[in-house]
Amino acid sequence: MKKKKRKKYDGMDIFSFVALTLLAMSIVIPFWNAVVISFETSSAYLNKPFSWLPGEFTLANYQELMRQGEGLVRAYMNTIKVTVIGVAAGMSIMVMSAYAFSREFPGKKGLFMVMLFTMYFGGGLVPTYLLIKNLGLIDTHAGVILLGLSSTYNIIVMRNGFQSIPVELSEAAVIDGASDPAIFFKVMLPLQKPMIATFTLFTAVGCWNNWYWPMLILNSRSKVLLQIFLRSLINATSALTQQEMIESADAIRSYSLGIQMAAVFMVVLPIMLVYPFLQKHFAKGMLVGGVKM
Amino acid sequence: MEKRGDMQLKKGKKTARKVWKARYLYLMLVPLFIWLIIFHYGPMYGILLAFKKYRANAGIWGSQWVGLANFRRIFITPDSLKAIRNTVLISLGRIVFGFPPPIILAILINEMRGRKLKKVYQTIYTFPHFLSWVVVGVIMTNLLSTNGAVNTLMAGLGMEKVSFLTDKTLFVVMMFITGIWKGVGWSAIIYMAAIAGIDPALYEAARIDGASRLQQIRYITLSGISATISIVLILQIGQVMNAGFDQIFNMRNATVAGAVQILDTYVYDITFEATPNYGFSTAVGLFKSVINFTLLMTANVVVGRLTGQRLYSSE
Repeated sequence: MKKKKRKKYDGMDIFSFVALTLLAMSIVIPFWNAVVISFETSSAYLNKPFSWLPGEFTLANYQELMRQGEGLVRAYMNTIKVTVIGVAAGMSIMVMSAYAFSREFPGKKGLFMVMLFTMYFGGGLVPTYLLIKNLGLIDTHAGVILLGLSSTYNIIVMRNGFQSIPVELSEAAVIDGASDPAIFFKVMLPLQKPMIATFTLFTAVGCWNNWYWPMLILNSRSKVLLQIFLRSLINATSALTQQEMIESADAIRSYSLGIQMAAVFMVVLPIMLVYPFLQKHFAKGMLVGGVKM
Repeated sequence: MEKRGDMQLKKGKKTARKVWKARYLYLMLVPLFIWLIIFHYGPMYGILLAFKKYRANAGIWGSQWVGLANFRRIFITPDSLKAIRNTVLISLGRIVFGFPPPIILAILINEMRGRKLKKVYQTIYTFPHFLSWVVVGVIMTNLLSTNGAVNTLMAGLGMEKVSFLTDKTLFVVMMFITGIWKGVGWSAIIYMAAIAGIDPALYEAARIDGASRLQQIRYITLSGISATISIVLILQIGQVMNAGFDQIFNMRNATVAGAVQILDTYVYDITFEATPNYGFSTAVGLFKSVINFTLLMTANVVVGRLTGQRLYSSE
């Protein structure tokens, strides 16, 4: 929206500024609060549950987190592994399919319907669980990766992206004698680099945040993923949360709270690091495909 | 591939030539379809369980048929009836309270001056969308607990402590609020795109005619994005059966569990309880999936009629 610069601020300017600032604060403060608690001693927290800076700075929560769990380091390594493999395999499948569906070929409509149907209907919890069990994928990272491998929605949006490339470009390549693989690798991929970068990051964040099926199918400690690690930290203290209803101040709880928040920070940090890159592209990459309905 | 090409050659040279020409495209689709068949169509075989009494040693096929008994049980079990009711009510609540905020946000962002600050704010608003409900659940549970930050701030203002997480009604309200908190920035993007598509000359003309900013919002911005608003609304109504499993699963506690027991959490609970009945679990899941499918399809058709374009067409 381009508007001529008005010199005076009117009521609307003030209202939108104040409202938007409050919303921004409501999002930043909970995270900041979590980070502060993670660097705080339990007594400082009990003294003042909400403060802008740690009442009494300490790294004890992080040290304790490291000691309690060799868990954390292992969860990190496992999550990185699952994310890297999941993104590499998933993106290859999705980009190839997206390109294929952007072209014309006999049977395209039928195949597309077969794919689309899975977006609206599925077997559900028990049948999927039994399938994983029958395939021997319980307690394996392969099971986690395979279950979340592809996303039909992403394929369709990327397909739209490929379709938005002028036909003349690929036709020119065909006349030059290029085959489909050549067009795919030499024309389409380079032209849609930003889109592919965006979806790579989307997929990576999706793998990083994956918790439901990992929770259901992973059970040995050596296989743990970050989100599951975080959940188990909370569940370990959920018995105390009940007690907390009776007596509000509980030294042990707040101490474990420090560790919990340290874990939250460790889980969120990588997403915060890639987020600027993600944000730069998703408005473009996502919208171009997503809004075309 | 070649053999298939030969066979079709007899039927029609043209199709065969087309298929052969597209051989690499089919090849590119092979991994996807192998995966779809195993991991999406595979479990659909297991749906048979909904009509059976499952015994682990007999397997899916060997278990005894029970007809529609599992489905009848859905309608005579108070817990499942309650889950159905909660699913619909919580979803409708999410639409009533959660639908307007992204529209308002998009309009406010559009009205705000200062390009740089706008960018910074948008970056902040969208961020929670990229976190899992595991993470957001921990943060929110801490924030809203009896000695958390919100209660501390309220106490500082001389207010009574509120048990946000153990009062059933308040907990549902908190579900709505934290849901909006996480998703509002992301949901606003589609409206912002729609606003960006409005012709700036319209605002110019309105200003010359002496329209106030509120009038401009009402008659230009809102009417300019009204099509988008109806599309999003219809699509959300189509999602009524999905009442927010991730959020509820990660934030519920024993005290409020009954009040926020939706179909998805119910299926989870009965599947992983001490003596599960897989047949019944599958039936509840299927019941939900079928209604969900019907609603989504209806929503897509309605949106298609409105826009004159099929949603997710193969073209």
